[in-house]
Amino acid sequence: MAASRTGHLLLARLLGTSTKQLVWASASPFWSVPRRGYWRPGQPRERKWLWQRINFDFAKGVDGVRKNVGLLKDEFLQRWVGPEGKPLLEHMLEQTRVLWEFRGPESLNQWLVSSDREIGGRSEVYLKLGRNNNTCLLYGTLCSAPPRDGETRYSGYCTMRSEQLRASFDRKKHHDVSNFNTLHLRVRGDGRPWMINIGVENYFHHQRDDIYSYFLYTRGGPYWQDVKIPFSKFFLATRGRIQDDQHCLLLDKMNTIGFTLGDKADGPFQLEIDFIGVCNDPAHTEDFAYEVYKRNPEV
Amino acid sequence: MNTARILLRSQCVRCLAPFARTTHLQAVLSNGGLAHCSLGLSSTGVQQVHRAFHASSRYDKNQPVPSTLRGSEEDGNKDKSLVAHDDLFERAGKEAKNKATFNKVVEVFNKRDVRRRGHVEFIYAALKKMPEFGVERDITVYNKLLDVFPKEVFVPRNFIQRMFNHYPRQQECAVEVLEQMENHGIMPNVETKVLLVQIFGPKGHPVRKYQRLMYWFPKFKHANPFPVPHELPADPVDLARFSLTRIANDMDTRVTVYQMPYTDITETGEEVQEPHIVGIQSPDQQALLAKHNPSKPVFVEGPYPLWLRRTCVYYYVLKADPVPPEEKVEEYMDLELVGPQQSIHYPLWIDMDLQRDMGDDFSFNVDDVEEGAIYAMCMAGQGDQVTLARWIAGLQETNPILGRIPTVFRLESGPRELQDLTEPQRPPGADMEAEHSSEPDHVMDQQLGGQRVKQ
Repeated sequence: MAASRTGHLLLARLLGTSTKQLVWASASPFWSVPRRGYWRPGQPRERKWLWQRINFDFAKGVDGVRKNVGLLKDEFLQRWVGPEGKPLLEHMLEQTRVLWEFRGPESLNQWLVSSDREIGGRSEVYLKLGRNNNTCLLYGTLCSAPPRDGETRYSGYCTMRSEQLRASFDRKKHHDVSNFNTLHLRVRGDGRPWMINIGVENYFHHQRDDIYSYFLYTRGGPYWQDVKIPFSKFFLATRGRIQDDQHCLLLDKMNTIGFTLGDKADGPFQLEIDFIGVCNDPAHTEDFAYEVYKRNPEV
Repeated sequence: MNTARILLRSQCVRCLAPFARTTHLQAVLSNGGLAHCSLGLSSTGVQQVHRAFHASSRYDKNQPVPSTLRGSEEDGNKDKSLVAHDDLFERAGKEAKNKATFNKVVEVFNKRDVRRRGHVEFIYAALKKMPEFGVERDITVYNKLLDVFPKEVFVPRNFIQRMFNHYPRQQECAVEVLEQMENHGIMPNVETKVLLVQIFGPKGHPVRKYQRLMYWFPKFKHANPFPVPHELPADPVDLARFSLTRIANDMDTRVTVYQMPYTDITETGEEVQEPHIVGIQSPDQQALLAKHNPSKPVFVEGPYPLWLRRTCVYYYVLKADPVPPEEKVEEYMDLELVGPQQSIHYPLWIDMDLQRDMGDDFSFNVDDVEEGAIYAMCMAGQGDQVTLARWIAGLQETNPILGRIPTVFRLESGPRELQDLTEPQRPPGADMEAEHSSEPDHVMDQQLGGQRVKQ
């Protein structure tokens, strides 16, 4: 069925994915593969060759080598302390772990912010450290007027997403939170409903836009709000569309977490985050909150 | 294309075979034309009349349209000029834009042609016009819109039709209707399901979309631990009361209305609109304020935004700066009341390490965010210093210590901590408190120079 282009292209941005261009195998030769990602209507479709996309710069190369060798050295030495740099007993017995906290300006480098400005909308979003360098403040203005390119129908979203963890030489590293079953956030919102999106590492190409989401309802007001969401509540959505075949979020290779605002209320917004952690709630025994069996029999 | 035509033809032949008594019909069928079942069948009964939809207009040219199929001439639509469907809504919207006129437009379209020519475009136009007429949250209007589709025509009748997305444009249009319902959070009802099954059959895309709505909506309907009703109170005092109790985070709080909105007539005779002032404070906050050190000032900060669905209200906060650790006063508790000699039946303080297990530690390894205590909150019609001073005066009746503590007003327009003082932020469009709405020049009274410690 011809799904409207507006729908799936726009909602891809709702997932908080940044416009990274990734090379994927196709029928055309590898040195001239087309860009993957959202193509904004009206932009010229140019094809950049592989050598044009790589930045050959000596100073940057030296910096890169220094950084990666440092990371490699850390990795070698860290294993003598214990897994993931923590002593083994602490790693095994910990019942809470802080994944992201905002103590200092370098913590903001781990986050990417994006808004519908990429598709031609007018929302703005900024990220900065709060008072006393203790919290982060995501603020901006939402504007749900759709861009006038004849294709896009809905607009008005802002997102913040964590960067992919990298080991030495840009290898992907994942968060292993399989010992825990609850996500714990300490936030202070302004009453708007947000959506939390967790991206995990997938094997198949078709699963690359799979995101596990759940809602973050803020109360508003001057008091901090502790939000605890068990991982069993996260439902599977692809490119913003909730899927019929649901399965539980697998915790051993968590890549990214993101916050999206898309309620259609135009105006300024702000969200302060103190920290994001995971904890283990022994009283929570649910595996998955939604039905896994086949619900719609085949046509 | 030819295969489809042959299929339709063969179907027609099959269904008409028992009725191929008249020579006229036999001639028609032998021609291979699909027409004019209506002529032969109008005598046999009404239920075959709708089969005429399958006929294309090419074969219609020489056959007179039977009176049963001719629509009644309704008022004003006798001209056959090309009229866009939006114009119908514009014309109806000139008198009033409400549910009645919207329904009237849909009925006019329905009566105009029993074949409902152009119903897809009409439904798309209607979906766009729904917010203007204010009916986007009404399930009966959506059902009426789905009623515009002709029934049983788009139901696939064999596996090939089911396979090949029978009438894709109509299916997409119905899915758009359901999608607009989903965007506004409206639950479909059983009438929707019956309509969809009648129109598209039980296994088309619209019915699948309906099933998805019916599966996911109930799961998330009560997911919000702080639900906001769709109809907010219109009275600003009631709205302030609702929002303050929402953000107070304490069940013991008491809301006090210090001033209702009224019109004051000054000596010169001009009328001045006095705003409402609604404050909230809990007994814990009162106790904290009573223990506040009078040499340190308290700050009135604001306005801070609070969003309730689509409306933004602003509140002000009375708070103090965080106490540095060297000045923290240790709580002195009377040993008779809390020590081992305290009464067992009415203990004031129990020191018991209640843990589920040896070694359970659910605390997070982060430093606590140091913040000052919040003593009270208020919402006022206007955010200027005079109004807030009246609030403080009202608070002083229950907290006499406020008379000795210097109060500093840190009022800033627009959302706090967002931009520098030099760039005023544009306030949001939808705002219930009209006095507050597009006035960016609030009093910027900052008596403490230097940094702004926002709470």
